[in-house]
Amino acid sequence: MTPVGYRSAVLGWKNIRVIFLREVRDQLRDRRTLFMITILPVLLYPMLGLGLVQMMLTFSEQRRTVVVLNAEDLPRAPAFLSESGVDSRWLEDSDDGSKLIVVTDRQPPTAPDKPAGHHQGPTRETLLKNARQLANHIQRSVAACTDDGIGHRRFAKRAAQNQQLAEDLSSLFGESGIHVLVLVPDGYAESIRTVRTRLRDSKKLPGLTGTPGLLVVRNSADDKSVVAFSRLRVALENWEFCLRDSIFKQASLPEKLQHPAGLQWVEVARGEQVAANVWSKLFPAMLVIMALTGAFYPAIDLGAGEKERGTMETLLISPARRVELVLGKFGTVMLFSVTSALMNLASMAITGQQMASAIGAGVADTISLDFPPVSALAWIVLLLLPLAALFSALCLALATFARSTKEGQYYLTPLLMVVMGLIMFCLSPAVELAPLYSVLPVINVALLLKGLLLTSVQTISLAAYTVPVLVSSIGYCFLALWWAIDLYNRENVLFREAEKFDLRVWVWQLLRSRDAVPAFPEAVFCFIGILLLQMIAMKFLQPDMAGPAEEVITGMLQLICIQQLVTIACPAVFMGLVLTTSLRATFRLRMPSLTALFSAIGLAVLVHPLSVELSHFLTEQAVFPELPEAIGRVQSLMTGNQPLWLLMLIFAVTPAICEELAFRGFVLSGLARGGRLAIAVVVSSIMFGIIHMIPQQAFNAALMGLLLGLVAVHSRSLFPAMAFHFCTNALALLYSRNALPVTADGLFFSRDNLDDIRYGASVLLICGVCVVWISSRMIRDLIREQKIRRRGEMERYVDSRTTATAM
Amino acid sequence: MIVLYGDPPGTGSSAIPLPTSIPVMIRVHGLTKEFQDTGGTVFRALDNISFYVRPGEIFGLLGPNGAGKTTCLRILSTVLRPTRGVAEVASLNVMKDPEGVRRRIGFMSNNTGIYDRMTAHEMVTYFGRLYGIQEDRLQARIEEVFGILQMHEIRDRLGSKMSTGMKQKVSIARTIIHDPPVIIFDEPTSGLDVLVARSVLEAVEALRDNGKCIIFSTHIMSEVEKLCERIAILHRGRILADGVVSDLVAGHDQPGVEELFFTLIRQHDVERNIEHSRAAVAGTA
Repeated sequence: MTPVGYRSAVLGWKNIRVIFLREVRDQLRDRRTLFMITILPVLLYPMLGLGLVQMMLTFSEQRRTVVVLNAEDLPRAPAFLSESGVDSRWLEDSDDGSKLIVVTDRQPPTAPDKPAGHHQGPTRETLLKNARQLANHIQRSVAACTDDGIGHRRFAKRAAQNQQLAEDLSSLFGESGIHVLVLVPDGYAESIRTVRTRLRDSKKLPGLTGTPGLLVVRNSADDKSVVAFSRLRVALENWEFCLRDSIFKQASLPEKLQHPAGLQWVEVARGEQVAANVWSKLFPAMLVIMALTGAFYPAIDLGAGEKERGTMETLLISPARRVELVLGKFGTVMLFSVTSALMNLASMAITGQQMASAIGAGVADTISLDFPPVSALAWIVLLLLPLAALFSALCLALATFARSTKEGQYYLTPLLMVVMGLIMFCLSPAVELAPLYSVLPVINVALLLKGLLLTSVQTISLAAYTVPVLVSSIGYCFLALWWAIDLYNRENVLFREAEKFDLRVWVWQLLRSRDAVPAFPEAVFCFIGILLLQMIAMKFLQPDMAGPAEEVITGMLQLICIQQLVTIACPAVFMGLVLTTSLRATFRLRMPSLTALFSAIGLAVLVHPLSVELSHFLTEQAVFPELPEAIGRVQSLMTGNQPLWLLMLIFAVTPAICEELAFRGFVLSGLARGGRLAIAVVVSSIMFGIIHMIPQQAFNAALMGLLLGLVAVHSRSLFPAMAFHFCTNALALLYSRNALPVTADGLFFSRDNLDDIRYGASVLLICGVCVVWISSRMIRDLIREQKIRRRGEMERYVDSRTTATAM
Repeated sequence: MIVLYGDPPGTGSSAIPLPTSIPVMIRVHGLTKEFQDTGGTVFRALDNISFYVRPGEIFGLLGPNGAGKTTCLRILSTVLRPTRGVAEVASLNVMKDPEGVRRRIGFMSNNTGIYDRMTAHEMVTYFGRLYGIQEDRLQARIEEVFGILQMHEIRDRLGSKMSTGMKQKVSIARTIIHDPPVIIFDEPTSGLDVLVARSVLEAVEALRDNGKCIIFSTHIMSEVEKLCERIAILHRGRILADGVVSDLVAGHDQPGVEELFFTLIRQHDVERNIEHSRAAVAGTA
């Protein structure tokens, strides 16, 4: 019986297209998605912008109260105050005068009960009464501080030191209804006049330094006070400048004396550079966040939503392959991610431009926020594609893992928070694109875009980074996509039943239903435990650097040893004892063949020159930041005068035992339980790298971890891995002590400026070829074993068929 | 040529000789499915089960909740992989040619959902395209199926606006749009009112009359008696009995299927408890 109307057995892209079109149509009919993708960016930014402008205008139009006490004692010429308040000559903007209500104790011509324009505030009399109270408090404080006629300026310093006085003053000021209080000392005008007269007559100025000045009281924690003070400060400085100028003129002093340093400022920033600076901060951040947010909701709907509606099973029963399902859905999520990011950026740019011109209208130096150049826009689109692809694949994978849309949000929110943290890091002006950052996900794209949008940065130097940024981003995207496809092939993910978590039951089951080797989550927990203990150890297990050098060194060596035992070996061994039934299977405690043992040792010897030269290369290229001081101290220990056996024990034997028990023992056994050896080795090596914390060490350790994992799974024993680890560390120790039995012949070995041995290209080539050959043989053996196992399964399958079918 | 279908010793009926002149559409032998939870505990949902289904017959898979019916049907529809054993649909192995199997089956259950934001026509068209039916043939087939199921009125109605009965019709249309030789119904009437359930059962009968091979999983005895020629009673992942309904009832000396079902289940549970007690005693000793 043949089903009707089939085209061909291979559907491929046609299925992907069918799924993609359906999902896009479905999402476009979803009001939530449409709101997030189109309506929100189109409306949000203009509304937000308008609101902000309106708020700024409203806020600046409100009038603030300034009280000047003893205003009669201000000099008459130049007069700081006019009839209506601060004289408009001193103000930066003539409108600023109307924004300040100046209340003085001078008798006004028509004394109003309330200050003009002040409808709801306290009356003039109340303000003056409060101002006098404040003045009295300040005077009492002055008296409390000193009895030798302390000046206002010195008082200000002392008052700040006196917590109680400051608190009283602050509370009194807050309740007074005054935003800035100006206290004019008695005889202020007279003292200025004296200065003028004496300078004009070229007389000496005895006691001039003790002449009291104006005291301005403000509260920088109160925005209203800050605004009033900023306006008044400009006016006072302008007034003071005019006063000084007139004094200097009267004294026939040159004007230049007022500015002895003769500072002049030259602004070279062009309008588009100012705009570029703004966009370089805003665009990368918004691009990343909006690309993720754009992927967030469609991914939940397409992944977890499909399960929740019960349509997932229907889809899985269709002839479309899992990879086609994922690619169709991935395309949809990516489309919405890209659209969302671009819509948001466009809306933000247009709103920003409009806002800038709205705020800047009427101001002499109008703020300019021109659009970024076309080349920058092209970069935005180019970089957005791998970024959106990465987020889409990640979101889809996490959403597939979730059982419901609610659970999907729980899984995706941490991703959003992590990405926000990365963006905050990228926004720091000190962070620029570097070799290491160019291969880190999200950071690389954000920093490259930041650099590209800044026209002041040389784009040629950045162009070199585009290749690693794009290649690594695409690589991460493929990894994430592979993960999503893998999840779609896992029935325990697709058909996860709702689990009611009970801690007691879980612990009981954990302890009761133990297996020979740990489970995957137990291996991950072991790694997290080690990582946390390492962090705690870094904080609390610091060597005492105060004592004699010998004691310091001994202390450091002890700490390294304790750290290895307590933070790495103990958690793994403890978890092995509690959670598994066979320490032998978990920690691979089997006697290896001599071939395996010698292969591991040989591999370690061959890897050493490659490792050394790779480290030198990375250091020379400044790929990683400089080593912290603590690591420098540890390295100095290796080259110091300590006995070699002791250093071997601490730097080679201890890590070889402790780290191998943990990472090739418990962790690798747990990760490999599902039968996926390659993934287990890669993940365990990444974990091994991470616990080394410092980027240089982490990178080397992760690479070594790959070989160590391969050696362990190939030999089925921990001892060859221990031997490899010991040899690698021992050779590194001997290398750093310059104790390797090699002489610089210029062909195979040479010495660099620091007298370190360097390996020639021929040595590296030989070692490289040998390492690849040995590793490939090990991998080939493992693949062959897997094939044999599969063949065995197939034979059993055929047997079962034969039993059933008799010809 | 004789094909022998039989259960391993002690798990059900003895080997059944079948002449090859009778074609077999579904063949399951020694099928076992184990699940492992996150703690590593293994749960055996199916334990070495075997059965076969011929074209033009409705095979009832009878069992209480959690018996393993859905797991078995999911393996047949290739969304789950068996741990051990053989499952073949239209002579295609579910492990070796899952896509081929999926093209030859239709699957419907009471909880297979439909898309809220798609119309009935769009949904059926979507699945028709996924099954690779050519566009002109697809439209003709949709008209045919909509006619059979009297769905023209709800053609342009969105899934969110449909009643339960309408949704079931759309599900059936989706299931049979590619005219599959094998149709699997997993508790299709569960949770439905009498009228909708009746229309579903009528659709199943009509499909049987068209020569389709149907597996009908349920725990409603009246449906079994009404529809199925042969049944298998599944409990705790094992087939307790299988064969022609009347033969089974007569063979176990029971008045009806319901009594047969309860007797077998109770008998199995008692035996199991005795086994557990013996094991516990042996362990303490």
